[in-house]
Amino acid sequence: MTDTSIIFEPLRLRTLEVKNRVFRSSLAGRFNNYDGTGTPTHVNWDLTFARGGVGAIISSNAPVHPRGLIVPNYAHIDRDETIPFWRELVQRVHEHDCKYIVQLAFSGRQRDLGGIQFEKGWSSTDKPEPIHGLQCERMTVAEIRQLVDAFAQGARRARAAGADGIEIHGCNGYLITQFLSPAINDRKDEYGGSPENRARFALEIVRAVRAEVGSDYHLQFKITAVDYGNDLFFWRPKGTGLAESIQVCKWLQEAGVDALHVSSGSSFPHPRNPAGDFPIEDVVRGYDTMISSGRHTFRNYLIFRTWPFNQLFRWLWRRPSRGRIEGINLADCRAVKAAVSIPVVCTGGFQTASVVADAIARGDCDGVTIGRPLIANPNLVELWRAGHDRPPRPCTYSNKCLINQLENPLGCYEESRFDSREEMVREILSVFDPPQFV
Amino acid sequence: MSTSAIFEPLRFRNLTVKNRIFRSSTGGRWDNYDGSGTQTRINWDLKTARGGVGAIISSHAPVHPRGRLLPGYALIDRDDRTPFWRELVRRVHEHDCKYILQLAHAGRERIIGGFEYPKGLSSTDKPEPLNGFECERLTIAGIKEVVAAFAAGARRAREAGADGVELAGANGVLFTQFLSSGINDRKDEYGGSLENRARFALEVVRAVREEVGSDYFLGFKISIQERLSEILPWLRRGNAADESIQVCKWLEEAGVDCIHVSVGGEFPHPRNPAGEFPTRDMVKTYDSLISSGLYTFRNYLIFRTWPLSAIWKWHWEKPSRKGVEGINLPDSRAVKQAVGIPVLCTGGFQTASVIAGAIESGACDGVTIARPLIANPDLVRWFERGHECAPRPCTYCNKCLFSFVENPLGCYDERRFDSREEMIDQILSVYREAA
Repeated sequence: MTDTSIIFEPLRLRTLEVKNRVFRSSLAGRFNNYDGTGTPTHVNWDLTFARGGVGAIISSNAPVHPRGLIVPNYAHIDRDETIPFWRELVQRVHEHDCKYIVQLAFSGRQRDLGGIQFEKGWSSTDKPEPIHGLQCERMTVAEIRQLVDAFAQGARRARAAGADGIEIHGCNGYLITQFLSPAINDRKDEYGGSPENRARFALEIVRAVRAEVGSDYHLQFKITAVDYGNDLFFWRPKGTGLAESIQVCKWLQEAGVDALHVSSGSSFPHPRNPAGDFPIEDVVRGYDTMISSGRHTFRNYLIFRTWPFNQLFRWLWRRPSRGRIEGINLADCRAVKAAVSIPVVCTGGFQTASVVADAIARGDCDGVTIGRPLIANPNLVELWRAGHDRPPRPCTYSNKCLINQLENPLGCYEESRFDSREEMVREILSVFDPPQFV
Repeated sequence: MSTSAIFEPLRFRNLTVKNRIFRSSTGGRWDNYDGSGTQTRINWDLKTARGGVGAIISSHAPVHPRGRLLPGYALIDRDDRTPFWRELVRRVHEHDCKYILQLAHAGRERIIGGFEYPKGLSSTDKPEPLNGFECERLTIAGIKEVVAAFAAGARRAREAGADGVELAGANGVLFTQFLSSGINDRKDEYGGSLENRARFALEVVRAVREEVGSDYFLGFKISIQERLSEILPWLRRGNAADESIQVCKWLEEAGVDCIHVSVGGEFPHPRNPAGEFPTRDMVKTYDSLISSGLYTFRNYLIFRTWPLSAIWKWHWEKPSRKGVEGINLPDSRAVKQAVGIPVLCTGGFQTASVIAGAIESGACDGVTIARPLIANPDLVRWFERGHECAPRPCTYCNKCLFSFVENPLGCYDERRFDSREEMIDQILSVYREAA
């Protein structure tokens, strides 16, 4: 049996040491207020994973500007008044010997529920997002500058709150991808065209953040190594390939990034992220809320509720990840790691200790970040430490968590993992304990 | 005309309210999904407390999670909810405002049922007719449990320091589903005759009285006319005024201190909240309800498809075309003539002379207000300064009503603001904790 002790070795980043190789990847439900102010429920949510033994937590996507939300009810870091919430959260997580990294984010045109404040998102382009038809306006150069500064201010707030570092959300089809990807970015100015131009926005953010928080602060960048833009719709362009992403990663390293976080896909969700099933019944129940969000959402809704179109869609969705969900990004990650000298962490369905240990030992990555399997088993690291290679009730990659979070509290909705439906409901609602008023 | 009647205290058997203006039960989805309360709910209620109303009737507080209308509302189903309500009541009291907790059970009227219970409970097993919300028929044992849950909810309200409780008996929720001749199809002692249909409500009243004693305010909100056929012409119309007035008399005998008059055996209903049917806004938020009922997808298609949407809008707005403010005053007057306890009336009130006139003419003893207070939480302050109405009155556009499903409750009528930004700022102000 594989020696998995490497998982429990500290990961030394330039300015930060994490006690083991497991990061909770960015995830969180709609636990906060509509205006982006944080709540005690969000603190409860993150504490679940801190208690479960992960070395570091990457926060839920924290918009640096209200126009950059993905859905309402996530905690923003868009104004100084948000600092006390993040400070309290970080302090509570630190009590569990767990590091806290704030993910600075901006959705761009990929706003699943745009909210009441801004009718359209901002993007590199003015073409709607292709899956749902979410509309956007093309950013002017002045607006780009404004947003670069918003990222820098977000980083300052994270540091002021006591967070151990920040991650710039540069992947999965959100705004930075919308600049990086040749399949999306159609600009004619200095932010579009050549790889240098498309990477300009990302690099400007990195430099602005560095200028704001100094060189002694952990800064990592999450990137889509390969866009796989034609995975679902074969007639669409592929987007960024591996060679170009590796070049961008080198530039990021030069600009002062301390670590890279490898993901995949030029949209979210994407058949490879989160890889796995397309849970039709849950999608029909949850997607209705999004009908008013985009131009194609009603068409999609009709497809999702109508046999055999929904089965065909499901087949298409599952194809790219068939047989290789856990570690789906490792090959891409290895290529990135070979090209840079900073640590690289990888995401993609990890929940088997031997798979994680092997990946680290082989040099595919220096650590892993985990989303869904930690929703299913927040104490995954403790289970590994106790000698389990896989948790007794592993994540099934059903992706029911993903779609339920639009209307219901984020949690594991895979009933087959529980003794009863009641147990599942109890588990999901436990995030609200303890209540704020006692 | 003198409007001083508005500012005279209203004396109930166990409670005195400083003026004749009550905030009716309103509240957005401010709370946690599991029913635990949040600071935002407190901020919301404080807006109107500061604005000078005599009493606030809380957002509907389900006495059981299965009796929730939609997630995001504070429940009063367990003892560990009490600290939240205690804090809320304490903060409201700081503004010399009374707090009445509305105890509720949705029955089958669950616009978003949530994931815990796939079906609601009702007097019947027939789905709700407009949206097709499904339900199971309550057994006798189940009825006893709900009665006990109401009594326990009333005990918690008193323990939290609330000044009284109101039973949410109007607008199509569980009490209506028993009371209504158009809905209740039971063959046992809880269905059939008016006595039988009223049995559930009266049992709850007696159980609450037994639990909290006779020295505690207990109100009952009731739809005097159910007018179900105004929603869909092929429905039976439900209870008429004479039946409901008989129920009011029985409620008084059973120990109720106040009747709160509303209308409609469903919520929403063309007469409650009376006014516009905001088609465009409905299309934006009704999509969230598509998975809630058997007919919601059909309705969604109607709302988004001209000319069906225009026909529906015309149909919906017809009953209130003659006027919104005071739409229930004739019913209220009839109730008041039949009972000895004070009567409150709801229905679009926002004009001082209309309210004072209603009180002086004996149509009601006070009014309860929802939408106009969303538009102008400081409405009473305007009355105090001698204004007949707030400078930017509620337009009854009903955009607030359906926005709240997906967005924060507030006034979404842009015409009432100098700019869209001002409107958004006003809506989001609820999250800013007031000093």
